[in-house]
Amino acid sequence: MIEADVAIIGGGPGGYVCGIRAAQLGLRTVVIEADRLGGECVNYGCIPSKSLITVSRLADKLKEAEKFGLKASGVSVDFVQLQKWKGEVVSRLVSGIELLLKGYHATILKGEAEVLSKDRIVVTTDQGREAISCRNLVLATGTRTSSLPGLEFDGDLVIGSKEGLDLKSAPRRLMVVGGGAIGLEFASIFQKLGSAITIVEIMDQLLPGSDPDVVRVVHRKLESRGTKIYLKSKVIRVDKKGSEAAVEVETPDGTVTVEVDRILVSVGRKPRTEKLNLRTLGVQTDPRGYVATDNRMQTNVPGVYAIGDLRGPPLLAHKASKEGMVAAEVIAGMPSAADWKVIPDAVFCDPEVSSVGLTEAKAIEAGYRVKRSRFQFAALGRALTSGEPEGFVKVISNEGDGLVLGVQIVGPEASDLISEAALAIEMGATVEDIALTIHPHPTLPEAIMEASESAAGRPIHQLKT
Amino acid sequence: MTFAFKLPDIGEGVAEGEILKWMAQVGDQIREDQPLVEIMTDKVNVQIPAPRTGKVLQILAKEGDVAKVGQTIMVIDDGSADGGASSTPAPAPGPDQVTAAPQPQQSPSSQSILATPATRRLARELSVDIAQVKGSGSQGRVTDDDVKRFASAYRSGPSTGTAQAPPAPAGGAGSREELVPLRGVRKTISERMLKSLQTTAQVTHVDEADMTELVLLREAFKGSAEKRGVHLTFMPFIIKALVPALKEFPYVNSSLDEQSGNIVLKKYYNIGIATDTEQGLVVPVVRDVDKKDIFELAGEIEAVAERARKGQLTLDEVRGGTFTITNVGAIGGLFATPIVNAPEVAILGLHKIAKRPVVRDGRVEIRDTTYFSLSFDHRVVDGAYAARFTSRVIETVQDAKRLLSEVL
Repeated sequence: MIEADVAIIGGGPGGYVCGIRAAQLGLRTVVIEADRLGGECVNYGCIPSKSLITVSRLADKLKEAEKFGLKASGVSVDFVQLQKWKGEVVSRLVSGIELLLKGYHATILKGEAEVLSKDRIVVTTDQGREAISCRNLVLATGTRTSSLPGLEFDGDLVIGSKEGLDLKSAPRRLMVVGGGAIGLEFASIFQKLGSAITIVEIMDQLLPGSDPDVVRVVHRKLESRGTKIYLKSKVIRVDKKGSEAAVEVETPDGTVTVEVDRILVSVGRKPRTEKLNLRTLGVQTDPRGYVATDNRMQTNVPGVYAIGDLRGPPLLAHKASKEGMVAAEVIAGMPSAADWKVIPDAVFCDPEVSSVGLTEAKAIEAGYRVKRSRFQFAALGRALTSGEPEGFVKVISNEGDGLVLGVQIVGPEASDLISEAALAIEMGATVEDIALTIHPHPTLPEAIMEASESAAGRPIHQLKT
Repeated sequence: MTFAFKLPDIGEGVAEGEILKWMAQVGDQIREDQPLVEIMTDKVNVQIPAPRTGKVLQILAKEGDVAKVGQTIMVIDDGSADGGASSTPAPAPGPDQVTAAPQPQQSPSSQSILATPATRRLARELSVDIAQVKGSGSQGRVTDDDVKRFASAYRSGPSTGTAQAPPAPAGGAGSREELVPLRGVRKTISERMLKSLQTTAQVTHVDEADMTELVLLREAFKGSAEKRGVHLTFMPFIIKALVPALKEFPYVNSSLDEQSGNIVLKKYYNIGIATDTEQGLVVPVVRDVDKKDIFELAGEIEAVAERARKGQLTLDEVRGGTFTITNVGAIGGLFATPIVNAPEVAILGLHKIAKRPVVRDGRVEIRDTTYFSLSFDHRVVDGAYAARFTSRVIETVQDAKRLLSEVL
């Protein structure tokens, strides 16, 4: 019997961070992981996909290398080596997490957790059954991929993101069902690795909910590379013929048939709550099955907490991690709470898309007097010298006081650029503050400064509108 | 609009109460009339309902703090328009529903609070709802100083000094001591007992009583009591035996009003029954015992004791006592020296009834006897007076015929 102050079920980016912080605060901490530490993010999501993205981009860049005076011949992708390297990156991060948890004297239990009550858990490990008596319970089991009726995963023709990352070769013809963040990342990866891509999205734009101006840039680029995009469309029939299939897609312009070799379904995720025994615990969920909590991560049952994806959208690793810290600190008696103003997000498609705070539409809806200013990367030295002139930075501010309400970026390294904007919003900065802050030249973040200068009414590198 | 929730007048001259438990936290949606706070006043816990529907902006009296009647203990945003930033009153959640965490990204109100993340954290640490703080910085930015000023402005009065250490981490491993906060009933008992001993001049007089006839009398009445659905203990008989003695010795049923310099003789007979509960000692009061028969008394004692154990006593049920009885007979011991339940003047301790050898008419007999101990305030009552009072009670208890005329 292990006596613990905190037992955390799930060792993903929410759970392991919660574990580290709890252990740092002197709580006797147990982190239970049924699969691999790091969870979906490190093992089957963020990290492996970024490895593939790096290589696919490099391969793609080399195709147009001659334009820059770089001669490269005989470039090909060695999938075996690529997968090996990707695996090494993942393993390194997983062992790093283990090292950190152990370094702070948290106990790691590998196995499936069975929740008997809020203070009693049994974990089936390789060594047998281990009972835990805990004062606080943190639920951090995240989400799993949802499937579509008629498009059930078979691990071969119809696959999910996890299998998509482990492919031994680029499919000749790949259909991506679901044009959200994950779908677009896969479309970008395999398009660059030589696949013919078809995207089927049920809504009227890719990346539903994102700023339409931003999405247009990604949409155009995909199409310019030969990707077929069907919006307001859905798969109605799959005819398997050996290793390939004919897929019937219902589009606004009638039904089309697409020949494919693989179908990657990325239509959302659902909470992984089946084994948490929520009913016995008396923990309440919302209509979609996510665990309801307050902004201190407390469920309706005292001593039971939920963090990360399990709490509901946005399903983001960095949100889960922060929530993990809040839960650990609340358990340790600190007055922590999720009071951040914004949660930035990033999509690693081509070009990259990132966003923080309010979009133009949302800001208008919220009643702000919205000022919108943009700066095109095509006018920025560093973007041109990188050979990536597509996209722009869009700053949404409040007319009058100039408060930064939101920033959307589509373009090179958008994922890296968004943190400055997030800090600006958290600090309550105005467009003046950003405009008056010297940004080094020549760099991509200058685009945020330029857009802010424009918002402040005195742009340098663009004509006044 | 913000609404200042002030500790309401709970009645019977209660001037202050200790915050035992908040049932809502800052940021929670509350509904009018849902139980909001548990207050401990004068040995009883009172649940006070939410005065209106809205969102909790700030809690100004922490659990453990003592708040005065009329003091603002919570600030509520009741959602009525005042041109404030957010004013999208969220629907009040049902009683069983958990308020889902606000999605910060979509909330214009959280957008419009201008304060750095570190300042927001400071506000949480000082239990301040930052939305209520007027910022002194440009465009109303809230600074650390603004938060601190706000916190100290609201926190006037006795609670200033109670900077509580954060709760100890669950289970400081390996400690050989455990910290139990002095709260609630325990805290009240500790204060009142000390005050009683420090402000009165207490003496205890002990005498022996022969209970043989009372034991028989109780047996005789037991059956008819059961028919009425009550369990008959010795207590109602003792109470009835007290009444003529209290009438004859009115200073025992009095209190000393030091401010006016008067001894207040009470012409009503409300007897407090010291009751052992899980939380500690509470003293529910049975009123006008002179006008009730033993069955009524037995039923009432049973009912209030039960409610005392469940922590369900109302304020009225613990106030207005004129004399107290404490019975430790069921537990054992020879006799104790009880502490007077001030501002009353005397308390009677009852003890174990046991068969003991007694000399009667020059012969040793085995009789049911017990000890009565009367603690009294010597400022009001002298030893001889108290001894005569006790003798009168014992005479009545020992004389079944006389008792019979009293009990029915």
